[in-house]
Amino acid sequence: MAERMQLCNISENNFEQCTKCSICTTVCPVAAVTTDYPGPKQAGPDGERYRLKDPAYFDKALKLCLNCKRCEVACPSGVHIADIIQHARMRATMGKRASLRDTMLANTDLLGTMANLVAPVANATLGLSPTKLVMHSVMAIDKHRTFPAYSRQKFTTWFKRHAAKEQDAFAHHVSYFHGCYVNYNFPKLGQDLVKLMNAVGYGVHLLDKEQCCGVALIANGLYKQAMRQGRTNIDSIRKSVNRDHRVVLTTSSSCTFNMRDEYPSMLGIENEDVRNSINLATRFIYNLVDEEKIKLIFKQNYKRRIAYHTACHMQRMGWQLYSIELLRMIPGLDLVELEQNCCGISGTYGFKKENYERSQAIGATLFKDIADAKVEAVATDCETCKWQIEMSTSLPVENPISILADALDIEATRQANLISD
Amino acid sequence: MRMDTVIMGGGLSALACGISLAKRGKRVTIVASGQSTMLFNGGSMELLGCIDGKPVEKPLEAIATLPGSHPYSKIGADRIAALSERVKLLFSDSGIEMTGSANANHWRITPMGVAKPAWLTLNDHLRIDDLNNLPAKHLALMCVRGFFDLPNAMLAQGLRDLGFEVDMIEFTTDDITSLRRSPSEMRATSLAKRLVSNHALQRVADQLNSLAGEADMVLMPSVFGQTDSSDFQTLQAMTRKPLRLVATLPPSVAGMRMMTQLRHYFRMLGGTYLMGDTAVSGTFEGDKLTSVTTAKLGDMPLKADNFVLATGSFVSRGLRADYERVYEPVLGVDLDVDNDREHWTSFGVLQPQAYFGYGVATDEQLRCLKNGKPIQNLRAIGSVLSGHDSVKMGDGTGVSLMTAIAAADHIRENK
Amino acid sequence: MVTNDIYNKEYDVIIVGGGATGAGTARDCALRGLSVLLVERNDYSTGATGRNHGLMHSGARYAVTDGESASECISENMILRRIARHCVEETDGLFITLPEDDLQYQQTFVEACQRAGISADIIDPEEARRIEPAVNPQLIGAVRVPDAAIDPFRLTVGNLLDARLHGAETLNYHEVEGLIINQNRVEGVKLLNKLNGERIEVRSRVVVNAAGIWGQRIAQTAGVNISMFPARGALLIFGHRVNNMVINRCRKPANADILVPDDTVCVIGTTSDRIPIETVDDMRVTREEVDVLLKEGVKIAPSLATTRIIRAYAGVRPLVASDDDPSGRSISRGIVCLDHAKRDGLESFITITGGKMMTYRLMGEIATNAVCAKLGNTAPCVTANQPLPGSEEDGPNQGDLTKRYSFGQRAAIGRHGSLAARIEKDNDIDNALVCECEGVTVGEIKYAVHQLHVHNLVNLRRRTRVGMGTCQGKLCSCRAASLMGEFSHDVKRAQEDLAAFLDERWKGMRPVAWGDTLREAQLTASIYEGLCGLDTAVNLQGKEDVQ
Repeated sequence: MAERMQLCNISENNFEQCTKCSICTTVCPVAAVTTDYPGPKQAGPDGERYRLKDPAYFDKALKLCLNCKRCEVACPSGVHIADIIQHARMRATMGKRASLRDTMLANTDLLGTMANLVAPVANATLGLSPTKLVMHSVMAIDKHRTFPAYSRQKFTTWFKRHAAKEQDAFAHHVSYFHGCYVNYNFPKLGQDLVKLMNAVGYGVHLLDKEQCCGVALIANGLYKQAMRQGRTNIDSIRKSVNRDHRVVLTTSSSCTFNMRDEYPSMLGIENEDVRNSINLATRFIYNLVDEEKIKLIFKQNYKRRIAYHTACHMQRMGWQLYSIELLRMIPGLDLVELEQNCCGISGTYGFKKENYERSQAIGATLFKDIADAKVEAVATDCETCKWQIEMSTSLPVENPISILADALDIEATRQANLISD
Repeated sequence: MRMDTVIMGGGLSALACGISLAKRGKRVTIVASGQSTMLFNGGSMELLGCIDGKPVEKPLEAIATLPGSHPYSKIGADRIAALSERVKLLFSDSGIEMTGSANANHWRITPMGVAKPAWLTLNDHLRIDDLNNLPAKHLALMCVRGFFDLPNAMLAQGLRDLGFEVDMIEFTTDDITSLRRSPSEMRATSLAKRLVSNHALQRVADQLNSLAGEADMVLMPSVFGQTDSSDFQTLQAMTRKPLRLVATLPPSVAGMRMMTQLRHYFRMLGGTYLMGDTAVSGTFEGDKLTSVTTAKLGDMPLKADNFVLATGSFVSRGLRADYERVYEPVLGVDLDVDNDREHWTSFGVLQPQAYFGYGVATDEQLRCLKNGKPIQNLRAIGSVLSGHDSVKMGDGTGVSLMTAIAAADHIRENK
Repeated sequence: MVTNDIYNKEYDVIIVGGGATGAGTARDCALRGLSVLLVERNDYSTGATGRNHGLMHSGARYAVTDGESASECISENMILRRIARHCVEETDGLFITLPEDDLQYQQTFVEACQRAGISADIIDPEEARRIEPAVNPQLIGAVRVPDAAIDPFRLTVGNLLDARLHGAETLNYHEVEGLIINQNRVEGVKLLNKLNGERIEVRSRVVVNAAGIWGQRIAQTAGVNISMFPARGALLIFGHRVNNMVINRCRKPANADILVPDDTVCVIGTTSDRIPIETVDDMRVTREEVDVLLKEGVKIAPSLATTRIIRAYAGVRPLVASDDDPSGRSISRGIVCLDHAKRDGLESFITITGGKMMTYRLMGEIATNAVCAKLGNTAPCVTANQPLPGSEEDGPNQGDLTKRYSFGQRAAIGRHGSLAARIEKDNDIDNALVCECEGVTVGEIKYAVHQLHVHNLVNLRRRTRVGMGTCQGKLCSCRAASLMGEFSHDVKRAQEDLAAFLDERWKGMRPVAWGDTLREAQLTASIYEGLCGLDTAVNLQGKEDVQ
């Protein structure tokens, strides 16, 4: 037959490739801890056929999906199982109002802006028991949760005051999508990135306009707002790439995944032209080292034992090897690669009262593995994994970029890269 | 990213090859398109189970009679005995406890109670060395209430036909009952996740101890131990009678366990296992493959001295069939196929199906061919190879393992 | 099931054939107070009833060529919406004109519809694309008509259930080997019980031949000649619904010009070829048929080009030959009721044939009228007003299912309507899913086995959709076989049944075994042969048809 027909059995609904092998069900962290969730196969490809027949087949139990994407990683048929589930949720909730709690949790930047202004007060207030109790009962945010502390000074404020001026002097340049967490909670990670990139001869710049990537907005059903913010970000990224010829680096696996993959698949935001220019800092740096474009000189006598936890979205992107390989370059760093298990927080999911117990049960395997690993700290590329693991294991959790910056002999590295230029 | 060897595919053959190389200090990356068909494995390895519909008793002898197109013949039938010993070593190094001999098949018991020839079987699974000398007379088949992925009555009937006396005893525990609250997720693998704590195992053991009656062996579905055999051992210690497992319908706990152990060992040896990524294309220079691009690593292709194609058969998408042809989707290497669709299949479902024998064409060194010429540093192993039939000949896992190690040897020899 | 000893009984009427027509006739006769026995040589709805589009015609398709059929269709269409709600999905249909078609025909078509009483509204192509996004976007014209989708298996079972509720007895797997004839009078049938090989004779005052294309053979055994016109049609089933409205081509009927959304799948068809009567039992689909269906199908909905085909099947239309048209399309699909007393001098024998699955009720009414005339029964026909079991207004509602995950129960209500109330669902085991694709629970299987005449897995599939999803029975066929073995206490038979079921599934998959369907087949073979050794456990040799 002359027409291009049946060359591959793939329609837009790629659940067609599902052979019902049920492998996805073996890796679902939610189905492992609750029978209320029907598992990825039922919620995804099986349910979708019926939902195509009649949207009334949408089941509320689908809300229990963490969107960790582990089913997609395990699927031998390339079915986008979690995407199917998320799309079904989106169709079922589009146009419905999200609760105040969900709106609050989802607007990480709004919450951050308010909190930064009154950081000491906010930190004290959010940590107080009566406040927690009100949040628990009125807002349905679980009382066991501690909100990540807010920084007194935003990253962007620090950057403009202390770093911006020097950046133009470098030979190479990148933009930095810092994300809400770096901006409001943990500017040190952003400072570490600037330190690191500067040491290897790269100037770091902010985007024209950066808004929260929207990963939490999507998870909480605030799709329209997520689309607006997503478009703003992609516009800024385009300017960085096309006008300034700067790739955009991030230090959060979730922001990266969201902007690269969820923007087009969930929000319909076209990003194909700049998708490859949105890069995780560890991947970018690894590549420079691999191609011998930069050198990293590490401190003498550095000695630490650290476990690396692969965040779910990191695993979905398949990029953990860059972070791991970079960390392995550090002499004196004893790195334990943890089995890939979900920590259970999944962004804002674990903050909700109704999910708290499930969230902790999901993370239990990981917490035990961490305890067994006998390490002094955990490395991961995701900030919400950090909150969860710090709360559940009391070990410090650090981004690989911070570990790298700490282990690096900055001056020697700077010199080495000056010479090689 | 530069490696010594990049293996496309992440199943049994990929891991066996990867481990063989990593053990000798090679930097190996495995690109695995999700979990493998090992999740349909019943806890055994088969070297050669059947020729022309008749069970094979002595696989090594039978292998010598195979046609030259069979992967075993390509490796050299005389090498299989030595390779089979190395596989056993590889398994024991990985912590996989299996027993068997390449000289004489034993029998594994399938979920439908059929005795099928096998080469190696997990020690905690039921196996029969001699059909005239059964390992027990009287079996208590413990049927998990509400678990539908083992056809208990068919199993019991099959066992009776083999000469066992069988009591079918239904039982449950709180853990099992609560799992059945889910309409869909009571699978072997989910039971294996529930039945891990000492308390949960004790509750099972209490049932076995009180219900097994006169039987001299207790039989359970294979729902223990996703990561190793320790859950089974704990349960055995709690149970007064000898305990054996029988494979269930997939997903298979035994397969999952073996894959976890192999992956773990591979990582311990310094190997990199990229789960959920797929090789999509390669770059050739002359008669060599220089790099492979994957879906997720994108613009950072994997470069290596040697490459191995272990992407599996149709089911694993290592081979693709469209409306008008069969092809190998990553590198477009030569295949041994018949492109007339009418010839791919037979009318009866249980008849031999020609497509099972389709696959990648190689030379004697398992090197892939392109336009008839060998690619010097690209070898194919496992189910992607042509000339064998995992279903009708019972040679799937054997071919995967033997070709994996043979390819690793070639790679080490040809610097 | 037959409640009394059928040997000693004389029925008012024996109906031969368990398709929609036979079932509809049995129901009508029973509702008019006759004592009824229905016999079917295979399972119910194995013939043309179960081998068509599942399309509830508005009649528009026949409006131009056959006004009488068109009128019958629209009137039955409206009746079925009332009496068979749980079998019908009110999708509406489009008749589209493509650039290669003559737009003039649209006017002829609309006028013919109006003459037949079928509402036919010309709509803007843009509007057609909006209401049915799967439609070929290049369409230049569209007409909206009240087509719908109907499940023939449910419809047949619904009629049989109601017949039984009113005293009828029904037997599947009983083949008529001959008629009992006494001096130009048919007095009953000679039956072969295909389940146990027994031969029995059963007596009745009238025999109705409702055996579809096989009716010619039944009549032959009594020396009566009916010249049937076997017109074979092949169809393809796609893995999910790409369309939510029936889509037809607005032109003279031709190959592969209707795409119907049926339950969770969609079906393109049909081809039409005259075949010799001897070959009507060979339902295998050829490569050429697949090619034609695919080539034409993508013109209706382009996405079919990349949608997985899960199986192919064929059926034979039981048309009565009237001329030598090789296509079979210009022949009236009108209903033919033959009183063989008048036609052939053979008393108490009636043949009801021709027609269509969707005019089954009217055919039943006509046949029953003829039976009643012979028996002097004057009760009126009520089948047009009385809903089928399952279609009553009360009963469980999908909207009530809010608490736990309830896919299986929801799907069961979709399939059985108010009869879903009979399905056990009060414990976790009854709620457990056997078939995950189609949401068939243990409870639904128990109900089907115990109340819907299920002897094997193929029967079970027709009653419940077990194994009808994209995987064509990967895990569910073993689970269901295991349950069946439990009920029958015959494990060996259950195992053979399982192999036969997989073979039946494979027959439909083989003609389209490429891409993901081939992967699916390889996985199924690896599980049932490689892992389970089913090929060693049973021997299908000799049970397959040898062709």
